[in-house]
Amino acid sequence: MKALYRRLGHKGLISLGIIVAALAALGTLPFWLDVDASYTGYYLFITCVYLTVAQGWNLIAGYTGQISLGTHAFFGLGAYTMAGLWLNGIGLYFFFDVTLMVVAGIAPAIVASIIGLLLLSRLKGDYLSFGTLGLAQIVYVLFVKGGKITGGANGIYLDASYFSSMRVYYWVALLVAVLATLAVWLLTRSSFGLALKAIREDDISAASHGVNVLKYKVLAFAMSAFLAGLAGSIYGYYLFHLEPASVFNMNWLFYPILMVVLGGTGTIIGPVIGSLICSALFAYGDIYFGGYHPIFSGFLIILVMRFMPGGIMGLVSKAPALWRKKEGAVATTTPE
Amino acid sequence: MTILLQVLINGVLFGTMYGIAAIGLSLVFGTMRIIFLAQGSMIVLFAYLTYWLFTLLGIDPYVCILISVPVAFMVGLGLFYTLFKDAAAIEDKNVSLLLAVGLMYMVDNLMLTFWTANPRFAATSYASYTIRIGDVNISFVRLMALVIALLAAFVVFYFLKRTRLGTAVRAASADMQAVKLLGISSNWVMAVAFGIGIGLAGLAGVVMASVYSFDPNYGFTFALKALVALALGGIGNVWGALSAGLILGVIESLGAYYIGAGWADAISYAVFILVLIFMPNGIFGGRAAVKKV
Amino acid sequence: MASPLLEVRNLSVSYGDVRALFGVSLTVEEGLIVALVGSNGAGKSTLLKAVSGLIYPTEGEILFEGEDLGRTSIRHRVNKGIVQVPEGRRLFPNLTVHENLKLGAYLPRTRAGYKDSLERVFSLFPVLRERQNGKAGLLSGGEQQMLAIGRAVMAQPRLIMIDEASLGLSPILTMAIFDLITTLHQQGTTILMIEQNVNMALKHCNKAYVMSTGHIVMSGTGEELLANEELRKAYLGRRAVTGNQGSGS
Ligand SMILES: Nc1ncnc2c1ncn2[C@@H]1O[C@H](COP(=O)(O)OP(=O)(O)OP(=O)(O)O)[C@@H](O)[C@H]1O
Ligand SMILES: [Mg+2]
Repeated sequence: MKALYRRLGHKGLISLGIIVAALAALGTLPFWLDVDASYTGYYLFITCVYLTVAQGWNLIAGYTGQISLGTHAFFGLGAYTMAGLWLNGIGLYFFFDVTLMVVAGIAPAIVASIIGLLLLSRLKGDYLSFGTLGLAQIVYVLFVKGGKITGGANGIYLDASYFSSMRVYYWVALLVAVLATLAVWLLTRSSFGLALKAIREDDISAASHGVNVLKYKVLAFAMSAFLAGLAGSIYGYYLFHLEPASVFNMNWLFYPILMVVLGGTGTIIGPVIGSLICSALFAYGDIYFGGYHPIFSGFLIILVMRFMPGGIMGLVSKAPALWRKKEGAVATTTPE
Repeated sequence: MTILLQVLINGVLFGTMYGIAAIGLSLVFGTMRIIFLAQGSMIVLFAYLTYWLFTLLGIDPYVCILISVPVAFMVGLGLFYTLFKDAAAIEDKNVSLLLAVGLMYMVDNLMLTFWTANPRFAATSYASYTIRIGDVNISFVRLMALVIALLAAFVVFYFLKRTRLGTAVRAASADMQAVKLLGISSNWVMAVAFGIGIGLAGLAGVVMASVYSFDPNYGFTFALKALVALALGGIGNVWGALSAGLILGVIESLGAYYIGAGWADAISYAVFILVLIFMPNGIFGGRAAVKKV
Repeated sequence: MASPLLEVRNLSVSYGDVRALFGVSLTVEEGLIVALVGSNGAGKSTLLKAVSGLIYPTEGEILFEGEDLGRTSIRHRVNKGIVQVPEGRRLFPNLTVHENLKLGAYLPRTRAGYKDSLERVFSLFPVLRERQNGKAGLLSGGEQQMLAIGRAVMAQPRLIMIDEASLGLSPILTMAIFDLITTLHQQGTTILMIEQNVNMALKHCNKAYVMSTGHIVMSGTGEELLANEELRKAYLGRRAVTGNQGSGS
């Protein structure tokens, strides 16, 4: 205990306590709340799926500064990879099969590496956004037009009799989201993370300091695609009926981005807060506003970006500065 | 042979809308460094304006240009000052990107709610006129679309090349800070570029309503197509953007005819990615669409 | 002594949490060439940015002809005649030389005398007349610096602030640029110049300030500072002692 205190300090220990308590509460939730009967079960499940995607996007955009707009392609690829393997009898036990899920992450990661190598090799910034957006549309058309192989626009059906309870969904999604968050956290604290941040700040100077910029960018991009694919496979297990319009939906691109930005880009806790809030608004918006809810989602995105562009973590980190306001130590850049 | 010619001509004529939209995106991207993904939604919105003006008040779509474009320009100024002004000053471009996305979600779904997903079309008396040249039929409204696009490109070109403010807009896409240091209001420069961008969406909307049937779901695809044309044409090149739009129209038209209608999109995006990878300055080799490392 | 055109009083500036200027004061009298020298990162460019209005100070005042500029816009200051030639020239490379100059005279105040200003620039820098329809990005380094100064002249400045005019130029070109600055000064423009090339700067100025880590540490006439052995050692580093002319950074 003393050693732990020495390592973490006062604040760290409190944070650790909160995290452990929250995880314990969330982990045991199905024992004291009927996740099948309560909408909360679905809400937390879908939040965890979003969070996994969001942490991946956070890694590439928040920590590396490369804006990818292909998340929904990787998400859908993950779902279809899992389903395709299952239908073809490849895997151990198919339903929430770890091997299938890992492969469902690896497949989009490979696609991401290839497109990343091509797009990130010479140019930076908007090329990745443009290219990944185009790639996603191509993938979408391929699946719609894929005929028998992909099931076309109608998609493919999995054996829905496997469904027994939301519990298992809840636990798997929670575990994956926690592992994803942990992985991103550990990555960003390692030398890998330092390299990413160096690239984000100034990739030319990072390169001149011997950082292999391309390698790190591609790795971060592949990692984010892996997480999207993994989340896609979980969602695929939930849907049982996969169709291009649902698993390649733009929502799988923009909602995770909103969650990251609302929480705070380039922070580890930001996406967690962001996905809890946004997912609540979307999930309950669906109940109360039905078809109108995308209007409010759009409005929400605008409100957040207009008035809190730094996200919630941005407000939190600014709070001390507001306290010190009397010193007036902040230089303001003039708008004009 | 005749069929091929017909396909090519239809492609060129369809591409005019991409071209107009791409010029708008180019102006916005040049000054504000954002991909304005709501461009397509604005086009559809103004297509509805044209459609309703025509259907309810009987105003001819070509007369609508006089209403639609100024309204769109003002909407652009309004959007800039209410939403994008502060975001443009922030280093993090996610903010502007998401603002555009939020706008797109809102506009698309509002249109769906108000006007349903039924396809609409301003069925003017002359909508089915065709002009026959040799063996090839050219639809009158499509030809008008080309004429309008050429005129629009010329006006924008003239503005950028010959006016003081236009020169400032071009300068701003190279170095906004330096523009500010000359005492030029960067916000006004961006607002005008944005206003013209949306104004062109207004124009493309008129063309859309008068030539094709459309519905609220077209917006995003259209924004992407305009983006493809932009990448093909290279930023800051009005004629490049227009020509790229026409070329994209031809590519799609050929793809749809020879490979299948549903594949047209995939083909244009594949061209897009190939251009990004191998011809980062666009097919006309102008300035890099995006600044190099 | 002439009346102060620009007076900076006790100016402090921060970038976020990083403080760049700590209570800097200086005066530039009408009709002088004033040099501002100091090591890299001393805060010289920051001072110019504050005077131009690109950043607002956290403390202190900037007075121009006795008027406190406070939080006025850049436009207001350019209208008053405060014009900056920024570090690294910041030309518009894809615009023609002529268009670059035209933008220099963007504000209504300067449009009236546009033709005269253009003539003035072309007689100062004849090469710009020859190249007026060429792209600015295709000019040589020296020509680009001339264009940057020319663009500022188009704004009919009372005070022209030049940030590292000699950056990246050969000794001969540096000399030429200094001559041009002197000519500009003789035509009645007050000049505040930042220079890495300390020897040249001190020789060409009426008065100089030395900055170090956000403070003014010394001031005096050019000759006084040139003669100051301690200054050379303490603040200007090797560069000044060896008189390295082709300074780059
Ligand atoms: N935009 C910025 N954001 C944060 N810090 C900055 C910024 N610009 C300058 N600084 C810091 O402020 C200090 C002063 O910088 P400034 O550019 O004014 O120095 P300088 O004297 O002009 O140097 P040089 O001779 O290299 O041009 C430096 O420590 C620099 O790192
Ligand atoms: Mg400097």
